[in-house]
Amino acid sequence: MERADLISGVVLAVFGLMMLAFVIPMQIEQAPEGYVSPRLVPNLAMIVVVGLSALLIVKTLRQTQKPTSLPEIVFSRSEMMALLKISTVFAVALVLFWLGTPLGAGVVLVAGTLIFLGERRPLILTLMPAGLLLAIWVLFYKVLGTAIV
Amino acid sequence: MEHLLVGFQNVLTPVTLFWVTVGVTLGYVLGALPGLGKATGVAVAIPMTFYLQPVAAIALLIGIAKGSAAGSAVSAILLNTPGEPSSAPTALDGYPLARQGKAQKALKMGLFASVIGDFLSTLVLIALAAPLARYALLIGPVELCAILLFSLTFIGGLAGRSMLKGLIAAAFGVFFATIGIETETFIPRMTFGLLELDDGISLIPMAIGMLAISEMVIQAGNARKIDSEAEKIKESASPDDRRVTLAEWRRCLPVIGRGTLIGSVVGILPGLGASVGSFLSYGATQRASKAPEKFGTGMIEGVAAAESADNAVVPASFVPLFALGIPGSVVAAILISALVLHGLTPGPMMFVEQPQMVADLYAAMLCASLILLIVGYTGQRIFAQVIHVPIRLIIPAVLFLCCVGAYMDTNTLFSIYLMLGFALLGFFARKLDFSFVTFLIGFVIGPNLELTFRQSLQILDHDVMRLPAHPIAILFAVLTILTVVWINRSNNRHAAQKTALAGPTTKQSQI
Repeated sequence: MERADLISGVVLAVFGLMMLAFVIPMQIEQAPEGYVSPRLVPNLAMIVVVGLSALLIVKTLRQTQKPTSLPEIVFSRSEMMALLKISTVFAVALVLFWLGTPLGAGVVLVAGTLIFLGERRPLILTLMPAGLLLAIWVLFYKVLGTAIV
Repeated sequence: MEHLLVGFQNVLTPVTLFWVTVGVTLGYVLGALPGLGKATGVAVAIPMTFYLQPVAAIALLIGIAKGSAAGSAVSAILLNTPGEPSSAPTALDGYPLARQGKAQKALKMGLFASVIGDFLSTLVLIALAAPLARYALLIGPVELCAILLFSLTFIGGLAGRSMLKGLIAAAFGVFFATIGIETETFIPRMTFGLLELDDGISLIPMAIGMLAISEMVIQAGNARKIDSEAEKIKESASPDDRRVTLAEWRRCLPVIGRGTLIGSVVGILPGLGASVGSFLSYGATQRASKAPEKFGTGMIEGVAAAESADNAVVPASFVPLFALGIPGSVVAAILISALVLHGLTPGPMMFVEQPQMVADLYAAMLCASLILLIVGYTGQRIFAQVIHVPIRLIIPAVLFLCCVGAYMDTNTLFSIYLMLGFALLGFFARKLDFSFVTFLIGFVIGPNLELTFRQSLQILDHDVMRLPAHPIAILFAVLTILTVVWINRSNNRHAAQKTALAGPTTKQSQI
């Protein structure tokens, strides 16, 4: 869709300009005399991004009549909902990990995703998290003899 | 040759063969799990080798490296989730083949191509390692910088449908590679005061996020559709759909040959890596095909091209390691510590000081290739059953394994944050058709590109007129420009054809 190409081109060009004008100068100090500047390659990469984004904008504006590589609807509702649901599961799992229960985080990650994806069979909701956690425990703690958490 | 024969005698003992088989099997399983690639497998297994004899220890590690390189195709074909970034092109045609009920055919071709590529590349290593040491010295920073730039442009132009978007993604990849402490001046770059970023962004959580998690989110959004399609698609009843036919062998053998050649050359050149090899091979096969538009819909040649090159890179990447002591890949870098630990210091002198140990290593590598064929062929029927599992059961398992893989990288939650951040970036990149693969390639070769670029500036004293002293660099610079022109023309031609096809339809619909 031309609109998506146009918007992404504008967003990337603005992002690149912001990086060049503010972030790179603020986040990378100048090198001592005689050294190649550490800003050189990040600056060059962003100049390329800005230049190519500008080209993308121009090309999109000139080719509005031509077919595009993107589908009519770029972001479908079901995919955005899936992104939201999976993000929620990850957020809950991370909170549990912070609270010191990595086991609980693992259970929530697997069982939560299963529930969000429509799985309702209690046996699957119980056995799958348990089986995966057990398999990882056997692989790392017993077979490889190394702790991961 | 005498040393090699004695090497086979040393390796063909029950104990050593047992450890090679354990290594290949372990590697195959690790490779099949998203995020747990060969580098992770070898790194985790090194402590296991402390108690083994040097030959068995190195054979085990070589087995893991080879097994996981081949095993990463399993998840790429069955789940559309590459075990490693280098298997991403395998998924492009392997997954559609699996959806068509030809999972076993794709898995078999992936395995055969892997074994052939790996075996032939090992022969290349044996033939070239010692003699190449002299010629490899000719490739200096200026030449390597030009080669890396050419590779990036070539891949950026080929991956995805828009060269502009591909090159933007590549530039972003290089940009993200600059994050961390700069190696020459030790000045932190874009770390925002976070100590975790001092060493830069780790590839493992980034690749897992961009490749696996973002794909799982999209699949979750289309879970019902995929499951209903999977229910319709059964393992084909036709025996021809479960095996590689003679006609397919005829079509694929030249592809495997080309893939092996590309993989071997890419492996020999330090810094390019398996992802560059597999994508170059896939792109070259697509371009050489009479039906390039069918690639991505289930062409068996796509699987053969990607897997042969992917696996050819591993042994070939030992050429610079053995010849010059320079690791050509992440695995080679990790293996240095294991080789030194077991009394073999990589470099030109090892051919003089320990020729028998080198021959034992070569024999172990060749045996591992054959054992890989047996283990892979035997286990494939079990792996192929994954296709019958509903996608709603696969997604939670993959997400969980991805988290484990990312977490293992640093044993901190920061890796998980990185993974999730790049998953979001990968999701939008996929939907907007910005090649996330080009981004990853840019990220992987970024440090080498920057290093060689800075060295080139110093060698050339910031004077372009000194470039004629480096003809190889000029050749690759010209090739880069030609590639941009060629791909741009090719894309414009495709767009013009699309317009011509869409024109009458639009007019009809308006009428």
